[in-house]
Amino acid sequence: MTPDIFYVEDDTDYAFFMQNAVQEVKETLNLSIVEDGKEALEKLQAFADTKTKPKLILLDLNLPGLSGLDLLKFIRDIPYLKSVPVILFSTSDHPDDVKASIEFGANAYLTKPDGYDNLLKCVHSVHDFWFNQHLRLN
Amino acid sequence: MNKFSVDLTNCDKEPIHIPGKIQSHGFLIAINKIDFTITYISENTSDYVSTPAKNLLNQPISVLSNHFSHEPDFNIENLLKLGVIRKSFDAISPYPIAINEKPFYLIINTSVNDWLLEFEPVSLQYDIQSLVGRSASAMLQGKSVSALLKGAATEVKKLIGYDRIMIYKFLDDGHGEVVAEEREDHLEPFFGLHYPATDIPKQARELYKLSLTRLIADVNTDDSPIITFNETTALDLTNGSLRAVSPIHIQYLKNMGVYSSFSISLIANGELWGLIACHNYSSKFIDYKAREGAKLIGEILSSALEYRQEEENSETVELFNNTANVLSEHLNRDKYLIEALTNYDKTLLNVTHGTGVAIVFENELKTIGEVPDDESIWDLVAWLKDNSDESIYYTHRLSEIFHPAKKYKDIASGILACSLSKDPVEIMIWFKPEQISTVNWAGNPDKPVTAFVDGLASLSPRKSFETWSEVVNNTSEKWMPEEITSVLRIREIIVAHINKKANEIRLLNEKLQSAYEELDTFSYTISHDLRTPLTSIKTYAELMLKNKTLDDKGKNMLDRIINSANKMNFLIKEILNLARVGRSEIVFETVNMQSLLAEVSAEVWSAFKADNAELILGQLVDLKGDKTMIAQVFTNLISNAVKYSSMVKSPKIEVSAVIDGGETIYAIKDNGMGIDNRYYDRVFELFKRMENVKDIEGTGVGLAIVKRIVERHNGRVWFESKLHVGSTFYVAFKNK
Repeated sequence: MTPDIFYVEDDTDYAFFMQNAVQEVKETLNLSIVEDGKEALEKLQAFADTKTKPKLILLDLNLPGLSGLDLLKFIRDIPYLKSVPVILFSTSDHPDDVKASIEFGANAYLTKPDGYDNLLKCVHSVHDFWFNQHLRLN
Repeated sequence: MNKFSVDLTNCDKEPIHIPGKIQSHGFLIAINKIDFTITYISENTSDYVSTPAKNLLNQPISVLSNHFSHEPDFNIENLLKLGVIRKSFDAISPYPIAINEKPFYLIINTSVNDWLLEFEPVSLQYDIQSLVGRSASAMLQGKSVSALLKGAATEVKKLIGYDRIMIYKFLDDGHGEVVAEEREDHLEPFFGLHYPATDIPKQARELYKLSLTRLIADVNTDDSPIITFNETTALDLTNGSLRAVSPIHIQYLKNMGVYSSFSISLIANGELWGLIACHNYSSKFIDYKAREGAKLIGEILSSALEYRQEEENSETVELFNNTANVLSEHLNRDKYLIEALTNYDKTLLNVTHGTGVAIVFENELKTIGEVPDDESIWDLVAWLKDNSDESIYYTHRLSEIFHPAKKYKDIASGILACSLSKDPVEIMIWFKPEQISTVNWAGNPDKPVTAFVDGLASLSPRKSFETWSEVVNNTSEKWMPEEITSVLRIREIIVAHINKKANEIRLLNEKLQSAYEELDTFSYTISHDLRTPLTSIKTYAELMLKNKTLDDKGKNMLDRIINSANKMNFLIKEILNLARVGRSEIVFETVNMQSLLAEVSAEVWSAFKADNAELILGQLVDLKGDKTMIAQVFTNLISNAVKYSSMVKSPKIEVSAVIDGGETIYAIKDNGMGIDNRYYDRVFELFKRMENVKDIEGTGVGLAIVKRIVERHNGRVWFESKLHVGSTFYVAFKNK
């Protein structure tokens, strides 16, 4: 099954919150989560091989082993996945991280919201933009 | 023969050891060491033998026996050979003989190629040995050096019966001083008189070291020439006691009215310490045995002097060493160097015999005892810095070298300075007061020659013996070698101590450095490892709140969890902010305060929902500094103003700036609860919160951040406050 959102997150708690928030925003939205870069690489390669394309990719910036930026670079190098919107997602609000992410070809950089209510708001906006507005723009 | 013509300009070079003459109270025959023939003979020998003296020249020694023939056992040749075998004539001389039925002593000494046979009359009727022993022990009763000297003079007078006995001491520059005297009551005292160095020329001093006694029996008799067939070599009379006296010296004695003179050398540590000088005002011969007794007294005195002087010196050294040890202990125990050296019973002052001491250390001056005023000392320190490259500098005539010292010469004519560090100047200076001493010269040393008169008298060293006194100004007591050693020792102790301290500081610094690095790591840990779980706690609590089955009590507890997590999160952020101030680079720019304060106040007012608080902006002046950091300063100060005035009816916060000299000073004033002045110093300390603000939320970090930022900008921060009236915080930034 092609996931609507592919999410790479090593923090299982945050992954759990995200799962909850996404479900709360839209019950039918399909979220696929992997915990590290290596697993993510395999999954991404599988997407390319099976010609399944997620609608949105969320990458945590700080991952053990391969970082979110490494994954972003990998995605941009696979022609099939090149056009998938990628959002970098991190606790850091350091300008250097933001700058690097955009340079590597991220479509957006989001600082992880503090608390569930804020996360819910955030997922709402992301959903509204990338799944409604954005798609219509395309 | 001796053709040397002597006058005052060359008396230093007069060959007084080969005068070619002898004093005529005895006679002399010299015997060649190899062939035992008579090589030199004094002319007056004719008076004692039955043939003219010159007839004896070149004769074998055996002929002498014919002339002293009534002594059946006497054989001079055997006597000489005995001395040669024994390598010494000490046990043989004086050998009693009779000439024309009169008792004589034969005294044998050695010269370069010859034996000197000197014959002199025996005048002493009793054995002087026991008297010498008693004299020696009486003299040694004296415990101090001066008592010893006085005793020696008294005892020598008893032995030889001369009118005046002086102990004469040679000082550093070669001039002499009479340090003890024993005389007939009617004589004018010479005690305390000084004699110029020229009075006893250098070669005479050398002779005094070789030949320990010297008798001039009668200045008014004619000398007897020595005759010889050897035209090329004069007879060396260094060891002869009959040696004739330099005409200059004879004149010198005559001018003083002295008829007979006798001197005994005093040798300490191989150097001529002084003389026992004996004068008689009529001619008086001293018997050989009495001379030898006096010589023995002189030798005993010499070794006693050496011992006593060493004893006195070692007492001084011990005292100084003791001081050094005590100061060293203080340094180890005390925190501050200057206090350790100046605050106790034993201080730097006890390191020398000085009467005052000053120490300049870490740009502070501390003095003990009699010292010039502070300003003069600083001037002196500056002068020493420029004029002395050595670690030790000393003088006993400071004002003659450094003229400004004239005005305090009474306290500091002598200084002993010891540098601890050249740059910055750290130095210790000991002071000795001026000694206005009167030196009584026996004749003006600067004018040795009086009016020219005909003949020898015109060549005399000085005819006038009236006392000529000189007042010595601008001079302190000299610094002793023991004092200089003591100062160097203290210097070593202090320098070692400073180095040790510096080392400790360096180690401490290294520890601090590593602690700071650990703190960095710690901050990072807080940021990433603490905040993430904290977020999880909060988020789970929020998720649980969505559970419809939860009762109100449960909801209330979850709210509290969330609230605590928020507080903790805020605290962590603040600590990170503080750490960041220390580490990040300051980017200087001109900060538009109008817009900065608008942003900051909007943020603060919304954060604290402070709608009822009034903000009054006065004159605002742009600042130079790091914009982010300055924003942080004003955010914290204005937040505090709003927070701590929220309980009053109509809070009023005023912000305004003035330019004062090189600074721009901002004042942030509120009409809130105020700060108890007792806690003034603690207000800016990390995590310190005043008792009266317990009910108001805060971390105790905000003002610490303000202080840190302002200090990193080389600015200042302070406050004025009155309880229940309000506080005004000031921050001053440099205008540059």
